[in-house]
Amino acid sequence: MRPQSVGWLFMAPTLVILFVFGVLPFVYVLVISFFDWNSFAADPTMRFSGVQNYRDLVFDTGYLMSLWNTLKFGVFAVASEIVLGYFLAQLFMRNFPLKSFFRTIHTLPLMIAPVAVGATWRLMTVPGLGPIPYYLDKWFGYDYLISRYAGQAFFTTVVMDVWHWTPLVTLTLLAALSSMPKEPFEQAQIDGANKLQTFWYVTLPLLKPAILAAVFIRLMDAMRTVDEVWMLTGGGPAAATRYVGLYIWRVVFPKTDYGYGSAMSLITLYLTIVMCWLLYAGLVARRDLRKPE
Amino acid sequence: MSDDVPLRRAAPQGFLPIHTNAFDRVFVSVVCFVAIHLFWMRFLEQDISLYVATVLSVILGAIIIARG
Repeated sequence: MRPQSVGWLFMAPTLVILFVFGVLPFVYVLVISFFDWNSFAADPTMRFSGVQNYRDLVFDTGYLMSLWNTLKFGVFAVASEIVLGYFLAQLFMRNFPLKSFFRTIHTLPLMIAPVAVGATWRLMTVPGLGPIPYYLDKWFGYDYLISRYAGQAFFTTVVMDVWHWTPLVTLTLLAALSSMPKEPFEQAQIDGANKLQTFWYVTLPLLKPAILAAVFIRLMDAMRTVDEVWMLTGGGPAAATRYVGLYIWRVVFPKTDYGYGSAMSLITLYLTIVMCWLLYAGLVARRDLRKPE
Repeated sequence: MSDDVPLRRAAPQGFLPIHTNAFDRVFVSVVCFVAIHLFWMRFLEQDISLYVATVLSVILGAIIIARG
């Protein structure tokens, strides 16, 4: 048997799994998005509707608003996670008493299911029961009620996401920091670079691949967040935290509008891929267009 | 011996501000295709048919693939 054939033989299980669980569902959703299909309606037959689902989608203010809210959520949550994760990673690079214990405690949120995280935060924010509204009122006289104030609900979902997922970013950046070579830092020191210059010209470029990986993973997760927010706010008040995953869920499950739901899912996937690609193209694959002098 | 090694030609630089291969250019074309159609349906379809968007997208895609 030729070496190339052996290679394909070893690749075959992965390729088959990828095709069955990745490509086929995508093609199925793509096909359904061009149909008008509600299997629980009086007429459950699939009717070809062309691009009508996409036409409806670009005029659907509820969907567009949910996309905008999701984008805001993603930007706030991911930016906070990267900054916090970096500082925590730098902290865990130093030696201090009980370092291993704190590192383990710090990663505990990662092990909790999103539904449980949402339920816990719900309990912590219920007026008259949760500690957050109680202490905010007692210490600062702050009226904290996420079932009434849209801004508070939005920022509570962001804080919950940051609490849940910052450890992932910390671990990613910690791994990258641990594997950094010493030489560039020694050279920077010899050249007389101060801490800010060392961070900007040495640490950040070396960390860029890890930061990008963390941003991509977290941005994709943020774009499809459903369970945590559903448990915490149920999408409310009004539609303030009805992120795109929740909106699609409402269309696909309670309304059983599969064609329209598929179109929305695909456009959300499209926007997620485009955002990640723009980040990649802007930060990694950029070409210097200036002509050499 | 080194004379036998065929010289590799440098990849031509297109108008896109990033380093691209054929897959990247096809990807950018598909992204533009979808974006143009969504934009057209939202703002222009009342006046101009969607087929115009399809023709424009295909032309743009071909240019990106050939010269991007």
